[in-house]
Amino acid sequence: MRLFDRRASLTAVLLLLLFFGNAAAVENGLRDALYDTGQLKPVDSTLKVAPGQAAPDFTLPAISGKEVTLSSLRGRNVVISFVPAAWTPVCSDQWPGYGISRHFFDDNEAVLLGITVDNIPTLHAWVIQMGNIWFEVLSDFWPHGEVASAYGLLRTDGTSERALVFIDRQGIISDIYVSDINVRPPLEYIVTQLRSMK
Amino acid sequence: MRKLSFIILPILVGLYGLTAAAAAQRTAELLPAFVLEVPAEKKHRSYLGLEVESGSFSVADIDAEIVLIELFSMYCPYCQKEAPLINELFEAMNELPEDAPRVKIIGIGASNSEFEVDHFRSTYNVQFPLFPDQDMAIYKALSGAGTPGFIGVRLSGRGDPVIVLRQSGGFYSKKDFLAELLEFAQQ
Repeated sequence: MRLFDRRASLTAVLLLLLFFGNAAAVENGLRDALYDTGQLKPVDSTLKVAPGQAAPDFTLPAISGKEVTLSSLRGRNVVISFVPAAWTPVCSDQWPGYGISRHFFDDNEAVLLGITVDNIPTLHAWVIQMGNIWFEVLSDFWPHGEVASAYGLLRTDGTSERALVFIDRQGIISDIYVSDINVRPPLEYIVTQLRSMK
Repeated sequence: MRKLSFIILPILVGLYGLTAAAAAQRTAELLPAFVLEVPAEKKHRSYLGLEVESGSFSVADIDAEIVLIELFSMYCPYCQKEAPLINELFEAMNELPEDAPRVKIIGIGASNSEFEVDHFRSTYNVQFPLFPDQDMAIYKALSGAGTPGFIGVRLSGRGDPVIVLRQSGGFYSKKDFLAELLEFAQQ
């Protein structure tokens, strides 16, 4: 009995130490896992669409398992957030901000779609690590970057620009913001655009 | 088993405390010079002990003996997660006994605009003053190393403000962290 108690206690100690170790690892997980791309060419593509034009339609797989078709969202405002790549510093510090900003979208009857050129398993792991991502995250992986290319947002290295596309209830592009890839678009820009969409 | 539990539990608690404490580093650097905009809200000016209503001020102008600077970002998921705990830390600072050093906290929103800082403040009901640092000039001056991060500054009567504590990443226990800040500042 005494031997059993000692073993049980030792196991408890090891389990708890593992727990604390893992807690620290999880806390630092996202930060430590990011790949630092360094400073990149601010913009490396040429837009193929403009405000006032119909937004090119697409159907893309989401990490939720759904297939999302842009034209099926007619009647609601749509904001597409293209980000260059999963597991990179600025991108990983952009969508979590939208995670606490849902009411800005809901108040203006807008759907937010996040798109990258990464594949579904990569996006799945990245989004779980970021946490609190309430919007559909779509994979423009294959044919590689087809949607980004249709909008003129595919960079020469196969990543996409850091861009926001605002599409009204009729499917017409109302605004496009192509950010310097090294810089996150300010939240107030999104909120101002959302409030101007009817 | 019961006896062993009595022995093991304090050891585990101690180990946990050590893990949390290990993240903070004791330093003795002079605080780099930078200024902040005087807050528009009266309650924040009052908290900081500022008599002017506009313009700029420096950390040395804050009516406190110890100032904790939190480096955060509205976009940082760890900062979001930690926000309620930092609110509790702010309350714990306000509840220190009268004979304890006066400790105050401010937040610097690294690469955040004023709008983004306001959004963070309203989302988490932050009651202490937060300041935008959109171009990260303050973050860089302070040699920030990620968010959340903490920089403890000693102000009280020993010359220029001195950084006494640096911590990159969050803390586990507000009580331990506050005790550590007080200990570092008093040496």
